[in-house]
This record gives sequence, structure tokens and C-alpha cells, in this order.
Amino acid sequence: MSDRYAQVEVLHRARPRSRLIRWSALLAIACSALVWFASEISFADMFSTKRLGHLDRFITNDMLPSKLRGESFSWGGLGDWCAEQFQLNGARAMFATLCISVLAIVLAAVAGAMLGAFGARNLMSAHPFLPHATVGHGDCSHGLDRVAQFTRFVCILLRAVPEYIWAYLLLAMLGTSAWPAVLALAIHNAGILGRLAGETIENLPSQPLRALSMTGGTRRDVAVVGIFPMALGRYLLYFFYRFETCVREATVLGMLGVVSLGYFVIEARAHGQYSTMLFLIFLGGMLVMLADVVSDIARRWLQKGI
Amino acid sequence: MAKPLPLAQRLPTRRVRILTGIFLAALLAFFGLDLNLGDLIPRDSGFRLVLEFFGAAFTPAFTYQSSTGLPEGTSPFLFKVGRGLWTTLTYAIAAMSLSLIGGMALGLLASASFWERRHPLWAVLRWAVRLLIAAMRSVHELLLALVFLATLGITPAAAVLAIAIPYSGTLAKVFSEMLDESPREAADALSYLGANPLQVFLIGRLPRAFPDIAAYSFYRFECAVRSSAVMGFFGFTTIGLYLRQSFENLHYREVWSYLYALIIVVLILEVWSSQLRRRFVA
Repeated sequence: MSDRYAQVEVLHRARPRSRLIRWSALLAIACSALVWFASEISFADMFSTKRLGHLDRFITNDMLPSKLRGESFSWGGLGDWCAEQFQLNGARAMFATLCISVLAIVLAAVAGAMLGAFGARNLMSAHPFLPHATVGHGDCSHGLDRVAQFTRFVCILLRAVPEYIWAYLLLAMLGTSAWPAVLALAIHNAGILGRLAGETIENLPSQPLRALSMTGGTRRDVAVVGIFPMALGRYLLYFFYRFETCVREATVLGMLGVVSLGYFVIEARAHGQYSTMLFLIFLGGMLVMLADVVSDIARRWLQKGI
Repeated sequence: MAKPLPLAQRLPTRRVRILTGIFLAALLAFFGLDLNLGDLIPRDSGFRLVLEFFGAAFTPAFTYQSSTGLPEGTSPFLFKVGRGLWTTLTYAIAAMSLSLIGGMALGLLASASFWERRHPLWAVLRWAVRLLIAAMRSVHELLLALVFLATLGITPAAAVLAIAIPYSGTLAKVFSEMLDESPREAADALSYLGANPLQVFLIGRLPRAFPDIAAYSFYRFECAVRSSAVMGFFGFTTIGLYLRQSFENLHYREVWSYLYALIIVVLILEVWSSQLRRRFVA
């Protein structure tokens, strides 16, 4: 019996360990402790008596539509008010938000597919997919690996800057239309989809691609005939996954002045109509949940194969 | 022998139909938004701004771009960048530590594998948790921040909580999916040996999903850094606040310094997480 425990002990000691993982975990814990105990963030301040008094007034008074304050509150009245708000701005805001996200994600997907192809290291080599033995002078790479490296770097640049900041900068340059919001979402998501597409291409089974290459296919042939159909399913999975985040992001870009849900939210806030503000935020939540369900169904459908 | 269909009838495969559908949707959206391709080209003042702004990209500022109007004893510019970055990171770390706890707890409750081998009535609780997660995810952190600002006034904890709520939801959803997709052989073996459901889950299931969970958490931290940077646009003292002020003062070289600072942080996180992932897989 003790012999077996000794064996377990030996196995336990021989388990793979990494100093990097250990130090990272330690650093994470230390940083969290530091932030909670030695920074300006304090929940005691957030829920101080003064602020709670403010909250109390908000819930009992500001939050309700002015028509329904005091004695005249009724659920039917609230329903009528919601319908009225929905017709006034709600429907328009939801439609614009949806359009912005759909257009943005499609633009991002097209750009991302390009970035992915140029960023995939297996495609961007001198003799894609050919085994080294069959290639005479295989070390001459035409600098293509540099292209791949550069493309990956561009992807990181595109996604490192948040959508909101992209939109803010673009708005100053392009003036008010829906373009800044669309482009901001497209740029950020192109970075993300480009990286995911590159990984997808690198993880494809190489035998069929090698076969195409060995029978005389050029790099473009392999990309169009082999990689495109094989990678499309997985890429579409990522597409729908990003679509749902796009809708979420599109709701807020309006706060900068573009016509999406956020615009009407900010308007309502500026006029002190907190009830309208909350209702619009609720509508945004509904829209995001709807996009969530659509994306979930699409992905489940795709996983059965296309 | 069946005659092969003419090419034209064979062509619209499922794949072609999906792609056509997607592009049609994009076209509808284009017209729904009343967009104009001409608006993509910046005009006069916009064009000058584009030139000036992108010209500044090559010469980011290391000191204040103009020293007029600076009060006596202002700390140096790079110090300001560092402070903005540090605040951004503190918000992100605080929000992430909250969301990891919340996401883990809700993720366990929402996963099918946690409730396996238990009474089927527990499924009610599981679906309730899933609904809660969807609701938490559905409202964007900036909208939540706006609600907190309206109800409680400006306080750093409000920004942290605004980020933490949707992030907990997202982490919970992804964690639960990862737990359910992790290989189940070890869990089954433990179950046949007579382990109770909790042991089966904690020893057989959870460790198998852990590498994925750690990698995804790291990615979400990167997102949290971005979210907290944007919080600056609402008056919190993260890097977004300084970026906006510099842009409004037309100090584009300073704007680029902030952008580069943000990009460098994301680059470091990227390298770090890819190194970690390599260790986990090995």
C-alpha cells in the first residue's frame, strides 16, 4: 500500500510545471489585492448615505415617467407610455443600431478574410504546403514570412484601439453620418477576425492542400479552391460570434452623436427624461438578446457542417 | 444511368446561399442607414484634420505639446500618460477580479456538466441562471455606467461595477460552454468508481477545462483594459479622459502617445498570453 502511495508521490512530483504560469498567477493575485486595498476604488464611497439618498430619490421619483408619478401610476398607463416611446424613437433607434452592426460585421469579415490569408504562415511561405524534401532551395522565402509577420502586427494594431475611440476619431474626420460608427466597428473587428482567420488557416488539415500544391496549384489556386471552402465553416462561426458583440457595441456608439440607440439615450439624459433613458437601455438589451439568440441558432446550424 | 444535372442547376449550394444571404443583409443595411459613398471622403476641414492627425503618428509627444497655460508645478507629460495607464489598469484589474469570481460561480451553475447525475428538477435553476447571464450580458458597460452616474454620481467603483456586470455574464457563458465541451472520460471513470457528483465535477471535469478557461480570461482582461480606457470619456480618470482632452485641444501628437501606450499594453498582454498558452498546452 505505502509502495503505491510512493508511486503516486513520484508521479505528482514529475507533473509538468511552469514557472511562468506560477508567477503569472501570483502576480494576478498580488495586483488584485493591491488594487482593492490601495487605490481610489471603494464601494464604501459608492454606497455612502449621500449617494443612497440620491438613489432613493431616483427610484421613487425620477425613474417614473412624469405622467405616471404619484397617485396616477397604473400598469396599463405604463404600457401605453412604453408603446408611445417605442413609436417615437425606440423602433428607429433599434433599426439603425441593427443596420450599423450588420454592415460593419460584413465589411469586417471581408477585410478579416484578406488579413487572415496574408497573415497565415503556412500559406505565406515560398512553397506553400510542399514538404521540404521535394523543394530544391527551400530556404529562399521571398520575404513572404515578413509579410505574414507584418499582417499579424497590423491586426493587433487594429484591435488594440477600442471601437469607441476609433469612432470618436473618425467622427471628427468624416462628419456626422453613420459611417464613423460602421467603420469603427469594422476596423476593430477586422483585426479580431483577421487573427482568427489566420489561426483557422494554420490549423487546417494540410494533406488536401499539399495535394493541390503538388499537382501544380499556385498559391492563389490553393487559397481559392482548397482553403476557402475548408475554412469557411469555422470562419462563419467566428463571424456570428462577433456579430453579437457588434450589436452590443453598436448600441453605445450613438453616444458620440451618430444615430443609433446611444444617441437617443444621451438625448434623454440631457433632458432629464430618465424614464425614457431607462426604457431605451432596456430596448437595447432586448436587441442584444435577440442577436444573441440569432447568432446561437446560426452557429448551431453551422456546426452540423456546410 | 441518371443524367448529371446541368451546371447551372447544381451551383447554388448551401454555402453560396449563406454567403448571398449575408451580403444581401449588408446591402439592405446600407440602404436602411441612408448611407452615401461620397461621405467616406473627408471634405476640407476634415481632410486637413486627417493629414495633420496621421502626420502626427510619426512624432508622438514626449512632453506637453504647448506649454502655454500650464499651471505652475504640472507633472511632466510622460508622468501623466503613466498615471492614466495605471488608473486604466486598476479599473480593469478590479473589474476582472470581480467578474472572475462572479463568472466562475454563475458558469458552474449554468453548465450542464455540473448538474449531471443529479435530480432533473435542478434544471429549473440552471435555466434561471442562464437567463440571468443573458440579461447581464445584454446591457453594454457604458450604458450601465450611465445608469450608475445618474443614480449614484461619479465614483470609481461605479465604473468598476459597470464593467464587472456584463463581463461576469460573458465569462459565465463561455466558462459553462468550455466546461460542457471538456473531455468527459475521466469524469465517467470517477463516477463508475463511486465518486459523488461534486467530486466527479471538481476532479474529473473542471481541471480538463482549466487551460481554456485561463486563456479566455486573459483575453477578457485585454478587453477590460479597453473598456476601462473608454470609461474615461464619461469623466473617470482613465486614459480615455486624457485622450479626449488632448484631441479637443488639437494636440494630436499627445493623442498618439496615449494610443501608443494603449497599444503597447495590448501587445505585452498578447505576447504574455501566447507564452502562457504554449505552457498550458505542453
